[in-house]
Amino acid sequence: MELQLGLSLPSTPIFPFKMLDLNSYGYELREGLGPFGINVNNNCDSCSSSCSSSSSGGADDGGGGTKKRRLFDEENRIVPKTLPLLFWTNQRPNDEDEPKDVDDHSSSAIFKNDGEGLVGWPPVKAWRKKVRRRVANVRAAVENSCGGRASSSTYVKVKMEGNAIARKIDISLHHSFESLTTTLMRMFDISDENGQKSFKLTYLDREGDWLLAEDVPWRTFIGSLKCIKLIRSRC
Amino acid sequence: MHKKMAFSFPDEVLEHVFSFIQSDKDRNAVSMVCKSWYEIERWCRRKVFVGNCYAVSPRMVIRRFPEFRSIELKGKPHFADFNLVPDGWGGYVFPWIAEMAGAYPWLEEIRLKRMVVTDESLELIAKSFKNFKVLVLSSCEGFSTDGLAAIAASCKNLKELDLRDCEVDDLSAHWLSHFPETYTSLVSLNISCLGSDEASFSALERLVHRCTNLKTLRLNRAVPLDKIANILRHAPQLVEFGTGTYTADVRPDVYSDLAGVLSSCKELKSLSGFWDVIPDYLPAIYPVCSKLTSLNLSYATIQSPDLIKLVSHCPNLQRLLVLDYIEDSGLEVLASSCKDLQELRVFPSDPFGAEPNVSLTEQGLVAVSLGCPKLQSVLYFCRRMSNEALVTIARSRPNFTRFRLCIIEPKTADYLTLEPLDVGFGAIVQYCKDLRRLSLSGLLTDRVFEYIGTYAKKLEMLSVAFAGDSDLGLHHVLSGCESLRKLEIRDCPFGDKALLANAAKLETMRSLWMSSCAVSFAACKLLGQKMPRLNVEVIDERGPPDSRPENCPVDKLYIYRSIAGPRFDMPPFVWTMDEDSGLRLS
Repeated sequence: MELQLGLSLPSTPIFPFKMLDLNSYGYELREGLGPFGINVNNNCDSCSSSCSSSSSGGADDGGGGTKKRRLFDEENRIVPKTLPLLFWTNQRPNDEDEPKDVDDHSSSAIFKNDGEGLVGWPPVKAWRKKVRRRVANVRAAVENSCGGRASSSTYVKVKMEGNAIARKIDISLHHSFESLTTTLMRMFDISDENGQKSFKLTYLDREGDWLLAEDVPWRTFIGSLKCIKLIRSRC
Repeated sequence: MHKKMAFSFPDEVLEHVFSFIQSDKDRNAVSMVCKSWYEIERWCRRKVFVGNCYAVSPRMVIRRFPEFRSIELKGKPHFADFNLVPDGWGGYVFPWIAEMAGAYPWLEEIRLKRMVVTDESLELIAKSFKNFKVLVLSSCEGFSTDGLAAIAASCKNLKELDLRDCEVDDLSAHWLSHFPETYTSLVSLNISCLGSDEASFSALERLVHRCTNLKTLRLNRAVPLDKIANILRHAPQLVEFGTGTYTADVRPDVYSDLAGVLSSCKELKSLSGFWDVIPDYLPAIYPVCSKLTSLNLSYATIQSPDLIKLVSHCPNLQRLLVLDYIEDSGLEVLASSCKDLQELRVFPSDPFGAEPNVSLTEQGLVAVSLGCPKLQSVLYFCRRMSNEALVTIARSRPNFTRFRLCIIEPKTADYLTLEPLDVGFGAIVQYCKDLRRLSLSGLLTDRVFEYIGTYAKKLEMLSVAFAGDSDLGLHHVLSGCESLRKLEIRDCPFGDKALLANAAKLETMRSLWMSSCAVSFAACKLLGQKMPRLNVEVIDERGPPDSRPENCPVDKLYIYRSIAGPRFDMPPFVWTMDEDSGLRLS
């Protein structure tokens, strides 16, 4: 996505008041171009010429608004002290930015980590999460002792570090870490080298935290498990 | 004519007049009238508020206000509350304490929010300020009970110690014993955030006993229910009380003790705490309910019927914090019982569950909006919403000043029409002309931002997540919201254009946070180069932004105005874009 910013600022320091008024970039969504029919890719020489021919803003409707409403009363605007670094164009953004590009470049597609859990969402303070953890664990333990699970499905996603493909296992078939790790090792074709475990079992819990499975009892693990990730053991 | 008038008053007269002006905004306005007012005002300003600790340096503050007694500082951006700001980002208070220790031996009050406070800082406070009276640490971290012990031991005139929502390294509960036996000036103590390990009950009891001016006491979870009676017995003058854990084996003697001691607290207006509540003990508070104006049940995991019973005993309630266990039915009762309600916060009991676990929907919020004429501040977590409901809410409650709605699943549409919720939120900003704070959620297009830019003229803080289609959305907000001070955005398809086209706007705001959006490194560099009075911080734990193509979006962006220039206490994953090289590594 090339970014042409029109960096060379216009040479004349004095612009008509209306031109500098950032707030009057009247963008009429339903109509064609606004007062500044500038293509963002033009350099600023053409900007100044097309800007001076812009129509004036017109008064604010004062609420209600017809289709043709201008959004702001220009007389009340203060002249900003700096020039905009980019002149806003009213071209439909889709014409230029392919929204797809956002996904291509961004490591932050809307659902991070393939739905493994969003960081900081819902926006509940970490401090409250600690309280909930106690509540959730108690409830999960109770549910497990009754043989039930919090959610209806017992299949859990498993990913291995360095392996792009995620697998799923039926967690209800296992009752201990031993049986789980044996199955996982078979599934991902891992072998114990020299008696040392080459992979560590980590999991994402219901609060969105990544934890080491070996640190918690099986019951706790089962009660708050969302998905599993095998990471290479570095020791 | 005006000049003459200014000189005709001796400075002392003006100072006296200014002493009635407390609010920061007014003080700032006063100081801008003319040079002599600026001078007089700066010498008599006693309370300084710094909304962003990096916007100005301690030395600049000290130079301008030579005689302040109270300072309030805020550090990390709001989204730090939700783990979006990596540990180590900054917000250290020590440099401030160090500068003030030398300049202000008479400093009395320090209020901090989202800052890193070390034991060293606390020890320096205890050592340096002989008349220290008030320490309020809100959502702070970095200190332990050792630091608290230093404060307790040295601050003979301490009136207020409030540690709301802090993360404290709980090394030992015995820090409370460091308050000398001669110490009696405590008025407010909030230790609700401290760990759940054994607490020094006898020290606490003795402290409460000898501090006869104690008005606010918020205990932590470690204090068991059967100890509360002993503590409260010594403090019938309490106005605000936070229980510890509210569970115990149900025993008649414990119950009657508790009920008795509570009913002797005639001044009690605010209750909180209630961890692990056992419903059987709730009626113990009924005698005080009729006077209650504030009730925080947000840790009380009790179900709707018990909540309803409780709430219907509190006709004078102005502020309620509660879990969504209250359900729509409970909120309907609230709407009919509590006509003075001004603030409501409903928190999710199971925020990460896929399915709703309680029957709380938009109906509850509608009921309260219709029934409570004074309602002005709402924080509401729910799982479904409709434009119709939002329009009803907006029409019936145009006096909202704070409206924060969190629909738990991102991009949830209107459940009735499957449309975006643009029209609903549009109604909120259109009808609620005094709206100062707004948080959006649900399925939203650029349209909602057009409404916000058009109508939300008094809006000061806007929180956006998973919304919008293009840069046009951000442009609407930046170009339309005249009063905007803080804007925080996450996971929205906003890129360079709107930001660069509205660069000047950023200098009129306190800060802008954008994470998981589409702002390129190139745009950040440009902003940093061209806007010397903005600090443009790129936060990226993936590594240096120049190791990727320039058009790659940055992970997190934090822009704030500053007259102190770029800071130098940044961790390795934060880069400030500035004039010189466009890139400064820490």
